[in-house]
Amino acid sequence: MEKQNSIIEINHVSFKYKGSTEGLLTDVNLSFHQGETVLLWGASGCGKTTILRLINGLIPHYYSGDLEGEVIVDGKNVRETELFNLAGIVGTVFQNPRSQFFSVDTDGEIVFGPENIGLPPEEISKRKDTVVSEMKIERLLNRSLFELSGGEKQKIACASVSALLPEIVLLDEPSSNLDWNAISDLRESIRKWKEEGKTILISEHRLWYVKDLVDRVLYLSEGEVKKEWNGEGFRNLSETEVAELKLRPTSLEEKYIDAFTDDMGQITSKHISEKEGAKSEDSSTRSADKEEKVILSEFCFSYDKKRSRRKLSKCIKDGNKEVCEGLQLCIPNLVLPEGKVIGVIGRNGTGKSTFLRCVCGLEKRCPGSITVSGKTYSGKDRLKLTYMVMQDVNHQLFTDSVKAEVMLSMEKEDEKRCDEILDRLGLLPFKEKHPMALSGGQKQRVAIASAIAAGAKLLLFDEPTSGLDYAHMKQVGDMLRNLAKTGSTILVSTHDPELLALCCDEVIHIESGKLVR
Amino acid sequence: MHIALDPRTKLYMILVVSMVVLMTATTPFLWGVRIFMTMVPIILLFIEKKYASAIRFLIFYGLALVLTFFFLSEESSGILTAILIGYCGIVVQFMPAMITAWYCVRTTKIDEFMSAMQKMHVPDGIAISLAVVMRFFPTIKEEYGAIRDAMKMRGISFGDGNALKMVEYRMIPLLFSCVNIGDELSAAAITRGLGGNVKRTSIIELKLHLWDILLMMLFTMVLAVFVYCKYFG
Amino acid sequence: MNSSKLKAKDFITVGIFTAILIVVEFLCGMLGYIHPYIVASYVVMIPLVGAIPMMLFYTKVEKFGMITIMSVLIAIIMFVLGMGYLGAPLIVAAGVIADLIAKSGKYKSFKKTILSYGVFCLWICANYFPVIVTADSYRTDLLDGGYSAEYCDDLFRAINEKTIAVLLILCFVFGCIGAVIGKKVVKKHFEKAGIV
Repeated sequence: MEKQNSIIEINHVSFKYKGSTEGLLTDVNLSFHQGETVLLWGASGCGKTTILRLINGLIPHYYSGDLEGEVIVDGKNVRETELFNLAGIVGTVFQNPRSQFFSVDTDGEIVFGPENIGLPPEEISKRKDTVVSEMKIERLLNRSLFELSGGEKQKIACASVSALLPEIVLLDEPSSNLDWNAISDLRESIRKWKEEGKTILISEHRLWYVKDLVDRVLYLSEGEVKKEWNGEGFRNLSETEVAELKLRPTSLEEKYIDAFTDDMGQITSKHISEKEGAKSEDSSTRSADKEEKVILSEFCFSYDKKRSRRKLSKCIKDGNKEVCEGLQLCIPNLVLPEGKVIGVIGRNGTGKSTFLRCVCGLEKRCPGSITVSGKTYSGKDRLKLTYMVMQDVNHQLFTDSVKAEVMLSMEKEDEKRCDEILDRLGLLPFKEKHPMALSGGQKQRVAIASAIAAGAKLLLFDEPTSGLDYAHMKQVGDMLRNLAKTGSTILVSTHDPELLALCCDEVIHIESGKLVR
Repeated sequence: MHIALDPRTKLYMILVVSMVVLMTATTPFLWGVRIFMTMVPIILLFIEKKYASAIRFLIFYGLALVLTFFFLSEESSGILTAILIGYCGIVVQFMPAMITAWYCVRTTKIDEFMSAMQKMHVPDGIAISLAVVMRFFPTIKEEYGAIRDAMKMRGISFGDGNALKMVEYRMIPLLFSCVNIGDELSAAAITRGLGGNVKRTSIIELKLHLWDILLMMLFTMVLAVFVYCKYFG
Repeated sequence: MNSSKLKAKDFITVGIFTAILIVVEFLCGMLGYIHPYIVASYVVMIPLVGAIPMMLFYTKVEKFGMITIMSVLIAIIMFVLGMGYLGAPLIVAAGVIADLIAKSGKYKSFKKTILSYGVFCLWICANYFPVIVTADSYRTDLLDGGYSAEYCDDLFRAINEKTIAVLLILCFVFGCIGAVIGKKVVKKHFEKAGIV
């Protein structure tokens, strides 16, 4: 209809990745106008990312597969255009801030694109200065990228894309690994691009932060566009309609952010009391063993190596009040209910991860001890009592089959028990498969299975739902509840308010290494 | 004070130092020259405010020197001494090159490095690959750290005493991670125009400053003095 | 798409695997501080341990030049790390020959891969060049300095002009053995997981 001002044309495109059944597209026809902001929405594996890759040329130039139809971007046929000729037209911000930078320092990263396409140095310097002042990233200049937080890295990635002055900006689940503050910054970057009249395509699970920016929303399922809204219509969707599509709520997260950042204490208690009502049968059955507690004491830690374990411990015992000053973590005493799911919240870099690392005994210099059912574990014993499922679960899978992974954790190999554990987590069909061949959620469950096999009573989860769509997030929530029912105590660090709402019995809030209940 | 050396000067320093470490010092004077040469990168590290590594190198090198000169020169035997001799020998012999290399790698930005390579007419492919190597060392360190933590939690750090398992448990997750990161890194780099057929430009203008020239002269002199005193003196 | 010219992606792959190989070399090298005989045993350790990443690398090589570039990178890095420039010709020669062998098998033949990796492993001997070249003066110095003759003998018995031939052969042999083991590991993990 309005072909004259459409900047991206996807005509009758079908695509199938080499040797894979996921993310395939069948006869997709789409066109995007200059200056519009479009959200691609849908469960994982629905083809969102594939569409973005068609536009930035990674398909067919980098990822190979069977491609039919044609994609025209700014008058160029993508199939016949070399990738570096698209670089000045299409910019892409990727999901993982860790892996998308090429340089080691921030300055080099911002000018990386313009240097590649051979712009004159004066022009590049000018662009760099503009981008830096527009995005207010002066304080990030001249630093090593490896020291930056995920949010800061993502900002640099945006700046690097900006410096190429692309007409089209693609964002592939850019918020997956970010906390709320970083997401707000990301929203500002997108708003700025929108004001500059760029065409923006966002593929995303979390909707709250983009919903006010979008002009059009495409809902994808099984490689086809199933539904389409304009911005207004999308914002007016009711919560039930959203839930029917099995997608993350558009506004819930926002409510939580306001609540959690404004008045922590009140909301937590309110939140918990709501939960209590909802789970009355749960609490009644458990009231008998209400005495069971997990006691964490002396969880203090400093990256300063001079503050040895003994010194820290002595300080606390002497009741020295100054002791918390300058520590990365200072939680002298914390009582948790056994067999419950406890959410740990707080901004990035405020000590959540340090807390988890100390609890599971990875930080040797932390004097903390854990008391469960009258037995106290400290030092290396903590490693046996606890198990942490890391944010990047790929690091903790070592063997060549799910079965071997579980057996490795057992003191004595016991195939029957292994089967039991796998069955409970729904992994039995994958027993002989390589853990790395499984999906993200399944890998997570393999890690949990090995934790159970090792007899860990206290399970720790570091951001288990980052980058997951609604259905998978719900699965994780249900699984955490089930684990708690069977007696494990669970600590889960998260930014995901939906997960908190779904499964946490209690929430603790850590700010600058201290507990804010 | 800030001295930003040209990458080419740094390369020249490495060249000289690695030539000198191949020649053993036979007289106290030559030892003096050697020690002087080693002090230059250490001082440069101090100037760059990399105090921790500068002090570490200073202590390490100093200790090895002292041990070599004052304690191990007696006719000594025994396993521990043998180990110590071997250790100090290698440290004293090759440490200067290590320090220089460390200084150069830590203080050179990838951007600078790429344009220096271009100026020296090194093919783009090699420059890109080398830049990736430099970018990847810290990544490997990060990933390996996470893997080691995971191994601790599982209690498999020593692979049940099986050397093959020890290697396998470390290597496999590391390789999986590196391959993944590499894939994403390539995708991100080529969508920003890496590997195009236009000549890459750089905002970093490489110019030899006074310091560069002074240091190059200094190192040329060191080499000349060393060679002269050793073979013709 | 099937052009034989190397692309950015290939260069990045080379960079990554070179980094891993250097780390392996470096970690094994640390053990060498313990005793000179361990220095000599690099020819066994590095080909075996390095085979795992290298066999994975070989599955990604499809064009001529990748193995050559890797050897050039190693030569440059060895130089920068202070191992001198004497070994550079050996390293690059090993790389080019290894590349040619693999090419003759179209980068698919496993037998050629074994041979190619065996040849590639010869670069490890470049590590010994400084010791061999400085041997004469080094030895006198050590003895003058009053070092026990025992240590000197150990070191130079293990590494000298004559044993270098043996060391080269050992490198090749353990390279081939390593290739077979490495291939098994790649099959066990990466092929099973569907990565290659």
